Amino acid sequence: MSQTVVIAPAPGRYPPGDLAIWIFILAELLVFAVFFAAYAFARAGDVALFDEYQHTLDRRAALVNTLALITSSYFVVRATAAIREGSARDCARWLAGAIGLGALFLVVKSLEYAHHLEAGVHLGTNTFYMFYLSLTFFHFMHVLMGMVILGAVALKARRGGYSATEHTGVETGGVYWHMVDLVWLILFPLVYVMR
Amino acid sequence: MSQTFTKAMARNIFYGGTVFFLLLFLVLTFDTTRALPARDNRAALTPTVAHGKAVWEKNNCIGCHTLLGEGAYFAPELGNVYKRYGSKEAIIGFIKSRPVEGIPGRRSMPQFNLSDKDLDAVAEFLKYVSEINAAKWPPNIQG
Amino acid sequence: MQYKSQAVAKPYFIAAIGLFVGQILFGLILGLQYVWGDFMFPEIPFNVARMVHTNLLIVWLLFGFMGAAYYLVPEESERELYAPWLAHAMFWIFLVAGALTILGYLMVPYAKLAEMTHNELLPTMGREFLEQPTITKLGIVVVALAFLFNVGMTVLKGRKTVVTLVLLLGLAGLAVLFLFSFYNPDNVVKDKYYWWWVVHLWVEGVWELILGSILAFVLIKTTGVDREVIEKWLYVIIAMTLITGIIGTGHHYYWIGTPEYWQWWGSIFSALEPIPFFMMTVFAFNMVNRRRRNHPNKAAVLWALGTAVMAFLGAGVWGFLHTLSPVNYYTHGTQITAAHGHMAFYGAYVMINLTMISYAMPMLRGRTAANSERSQVLEMWSFWLMTVSIVFITLFLTGAGILQVWLQRFSENPQGFMVVQEKIALFYWLREIAGVVFLIGLGTYVASFFVGAKEPEALPEGAAASA
Repeated sequence: MSQTVVIAPAPGRYPPGDLAIWIFILAELLVFAVFFAAYAFARAGDVALFDEYQHTLDRRAALVNTLALITSSYFVVRATAAIREGSARDCARWLAGAIGLGALFLVVKSLEYAHHLEAGVHLGTNTFYMFYLSLTFFHFMHVLMGMVILGAVALKARRGGYSATEHTGVETGGVYWHMVDLVWLILFPLVYVMR
Repeated sequence: MSQTFTKAMARNIFYGGTVFFLLLFLVLTFDTTRALPARDNRAALTPTVAHGKAVWEKNNCIGCHTLLGEGAYFAPELGNVYKRYGSKEAIIGFIKSRPVEGIPGRRSMPQFNLSDKDLDAVAEFLKYVSEINAAKWPPNIQG
Repeated sequence: MQYKSQAVAKPYFIAAIGLFVGQILFGLILGLQYVWGDFMFPEIPFNVARMVHTNLLIVWLLFGFMGAAYYLVPEESERELYAPWLAHAMFWIFLVAGALTILGYLMVPYAKLAEMTHNELLPTMGREFLEQPTITKLGIVVVALAFLFNVGMTVLKGRKTVVTLVLLLGLAGLAVLFLFSFYNPDNVVKDKYYWWWVVHLWVEGVWELILGSILAFVLIKTTGVDREVIEKWLYVIIAMTLITGIIGTGHHYYWIGTPEYWQWWGSIFSALEPIPFFMMTVFAFNMVNRRRRNHPNKAAVLWALGTAVMAFLGAGVWGFLHTLSPVNYYTHGTQITAAHGHMAFYGAYVMINLTMISYAMPMLRGRTAANSERSQVLEMWSFWLMTVSIVFITLFLTGAGILQVWLQRFSENPQGFMVVQEKIALFYWLREIAGVVFLIGLGTYVASFFVGAKEPEALPEGAAASA
């Protein structure tokens, strides 16, 4: 809306960020929820197969990635805190850190994919790999998308596009990133650990 | 209530979401293309089969029948007709023997007056389709 | 009517209604052939009648979309149409090409038509909904490009609104995706895979953008609700449409030789496809409830609300019924699909066109805002007749489909296709009766253009009291 009516001061506004992103996040979480439910349903049908192939996954790599995403979420929190104090430079720096960790996630995940590709694994190999590849790749693309969003927010922050009073964009981008993180926190135990 | 719900954000989600899912769709299409040779019976794609497909299309068979479940629902499924009839000869015999004026009161297939070459080709085409890996569809031989 | 060039929409709307009548007449022939097998055989066999029925539908919906665009784009862009003469020329080209194609279907055997139009040079004929001779397809591309150019230039030179932007995106997508109709490989699996890029990505993708923007336009005009609010909704709805609908294409990739992971991807995403339709229903009712004025054209508002509800029922609910792959395994290619197809096309695309025609036609015929009371009453009668009968057509076909699935695919001793068809003939008779009621409704609709034409315009509700 162009007529930026001075909306009540940002802190204390709930939920933070643009309401549109929350509608989007709900839709995204719904997609993931259905996907996870489908996974659980398929696994119940053939537990032995799922257990067998779960062993071929690299849990250390996934743990590194979990830590990377959790840390990046913390960085995003710091970025939001920084802009609330009015420090756009710090905000941009924290965001850059989060994006860096996102990149680390992508690299580690790509190495995992390379390993699977070498072993000749693909979507049609079996139901477990179908779910593993679909879910993680779908999430992989979300990380990429989140990085693009955080990148756009960081650039705008550096150019002084946000202030202590008006920084909805930072919150919006941050909220999306936390969603991506949250999905991984479910995906990791579900696909890599739980048996 | 102090909430923001900006048009700019709604727009960004529209564009971002569309590009995102378009890319995902292209990735899946890429993987499908890679996986098809093992399923689509392309080894059987001879010039005769290609001609058979042309005959199939030229006579608008899809206007009454389904092929792998797609088409019109007026006449039987033909994706598995080769298996149902058991031979090319049986298929050819059926197509050839349709009465010009139809069967009184019943749904009738037109008499297309196909040449022997066309008949053989369309039967060969239906044989090729019946050997595509369609994930165990249809549920039974009746189609 | 604020701009003179909006008048080019009128012939488009008239042609659309004329072809609609033709479509329904052939629909009745088809319905009768289902129970009276040799009706009109061998002169008009089922495949020919069906081709005419579906092709007329597509052509008249396209006429309607183009008319809608020519009407709303000048008003939104706040300027005259870039080239009204081009719009007139394209109207006649499209009408003549369409009429010749339909006559071709009816006058000569299809194989002869393929030979006459040299289909062998670039074979594209003989695939469901894309039966048009290749030359007609090329004509459609030319008309679409000229139309897009005309509308695009108007938008570019004038005020840019979300409504026109979304409409343009939808129309451009329609034109681009149609190009896949020229790709017809010998490999049946590939043929089917990309055939859906035209069919599915049209009706569950870009057409919904067109639908959304026309609905938004009519709601802005009839409710007086702030444009900002409506445009925000529009963005969110079409975002959800494409987010679910693009991967939702996968629900057509279960049994055509494509990899089996599509059963998961297709089921998951298409299960969410009702969401945008549900949002559209909520949106339409919300806007009408928050209206700032009572518009005198009550019929148009009724059509708009009807579109939102019936699109949700037909596309959303009836689509969901058979979209999950374990269900679809049994229902694929049965009367269930036909049931869904009828209500979805009527609810979404027929009704949005009738909404726009209902809104625009009074102005195009020289009224200030609405038809006379009598004309509107008749139009609303036609709304109920057609809508209720399509609901019954859908229910009867669903009944036929359930029985068909049971007898032919699910029971212990599956029976042959034709045996089963005879057992469910009662449902086809009932469907045909509902079809006759639909035709009566359509007749009433056409009559509403002539009844009360000389009477004064209807006043908005409450206008007399406040005056």
